[in-house]
Amino acid sequence: MNDQWTERLSEYLDGELAPAEQTALEAHLPSCDACRTTLDELRRVVTNARALDDRPPAADLWPAVAGRIGLSARARTRPAVRRFSFTVPQLAAASVVLALVSGGGAWLLGRRGTVPKRSDFVSRSTAGLLNASAYPGDARFAAQVADLERAIAQPGRLDTATVRVIARNLRIIDRAIRSAQSALAADPGNSYLNLHLAQEMRRKLELLRQAATLAGARS
Amino acid sequence: MELTTPGVATLRRDPDQRALGDAETADAALAASGDGRAFERLYRAHVARVHSLVRRMVGPDHADDIAQDVFVRAWTKLATFRGEAAFGTWLHRLAVNVILARRTTIGTERSRYDDSADILDGVAGRPAAPELSMDFEEAIGRLPDGARQVFVLHDVEGYRHEEIADMLGIVAGTSKSQLHHARMALRRHLER
Repeated sequence: MNDQWTERLSEYLDGELAPAEQTALEAHLPSCDACRTTLDELRRVVTNARALDDRPPAADLWPAVAGRIGLSARARTRPAVRRFSFTVPQLAAASVVLALVSGGGAWLLGRRGTVPKRSDFVSRSTAGLLNASAYPGDARFAAQVADLERAIAQPGRLDTATVRVIARNLRIIDRAIRSAQSALAADPGNSYLNLHLAQEMRRKLELLRQAATLAGARS
Repeated sequence: MELTTPGVATLRRDPDQRALGDAETADAALAASGDGRAFERLYRAHVARVHSLVRRMVGPDHADDIAQDVFVRAWTKLATFRGEAAFGTWLHRLAVNVILARRTTIGTERSRYDDSADILDGVAGRPAAPELSMDFEEAIGRLPDGARQVFVLHDVEGYRHEEIADMLGIVAGTSKSQLHHARMALRRHLER
C-alpha cells in the first residue's frame, strides 16, 4: 500500500492537513481499504503512546541525587531553615525568658482583663513577622504563634539581619501553609495535604521557637 | 496536558492534580530555601515520570545517570521556578533540556535526524507470531534516535511539532516526517 495519501495520514490524524487536503482525503478513504486500515493502525499507535505507564527506576536514585547536591543526612532530615545553634546556657536562659513571657502575658490578661495591644510588643523591625490571624481555623496554633511572636518582638532583641532571615523563612513557610490551606479547601479529605499542612504549621512554630530562644539569649 | 487528535480520545495527564500542585508549589519554595525533605518529596513524586521520559528518549543504558542529572539541575534551578506553571510542567521541560544536552555526549547527533529507512524497516518487521511480539516500549526503543525522540515528544509527551523543531534544532516538516515514519514502524507492534 503506497498511494499519494499514505505519507499524509499522520498529518490527517493530527488535524494538520489544509482544509482542502482534508476534504480530498476524506473523499478518498471510503474507496481505499489500505488507507483506512493504515489510518486505524496509526490511530492505535497514538492511543498506545498516550497510555504508556511511567515506571520508576529499578534502583532508588535519591541517595545519589542527595549526595550530588550536597545534602548531608542531617540536611535530609531537617529543614534548612534551622540555622541557629545554641549553647546550653543560652537555651536555659531562653526557657526562662519564654516562661516569663508566657507568665507575664497571663498576668497582664488577668490584671487588665483585656488583651494587650500588639503595638505594645512589636517593634517596627519585626512587624512583618506577625500573621497569626491568617489561621482563623486553628485558634490554638494562632495563639502559640502570637505568643512566640510577642516573645521575639521586644525592641533590640534581634538584629536587623537576623530579623530579615527569619522573616524570609517565615514568608516561605506561610506561602506553603496558604497553598496547603487553599488546596485543602478544594479537597478537604486529602490526607497528604492535611499532613503537609500540619508539617508546615509545626515548621513555623519550630522556627518561631528558635527565634524566641535566640531573642531571649541576646537580651 | 490534554491533546485532541481526530479519532483519538482526549487523554492524559495528571487529572485533578490542582490540589497536589499547590502542595508541590509550596514544596518547591521550601526546597529553594534549602529544605532537603521538601525536595525529596518532589523527587519521589516525579522520579517515575522523569525516568520514563529519559529511558524513552535515550534508552535504558544512560537513564539512571541522566535522571539524576535532571534532579541535580532542578535543585540548582529551583530559584527560577515561580509557580506560574505546575512544578511537574517546569520539571518536565527542564528534563527535556537536560536530555537533549546530553545527546551529544552519548552519541546522538544531529545527522541522525536524516531518515533511516533501513532501520525503520527493521523495526517495522511484522513479528511472525503473537508470542514474538515486541513490547511496545521496546519497539519505541529500537526506533532510530531522531524518529524515537520526535515520537516520544509528540505522541507520548504531547509537544507540538513547532516546539519539537525548536528543541531539536530541526524544521517542523522534518519532525512531521519522522513522526509519521515512527508511527508506521510501530503499528507493526500493536497488540492484536
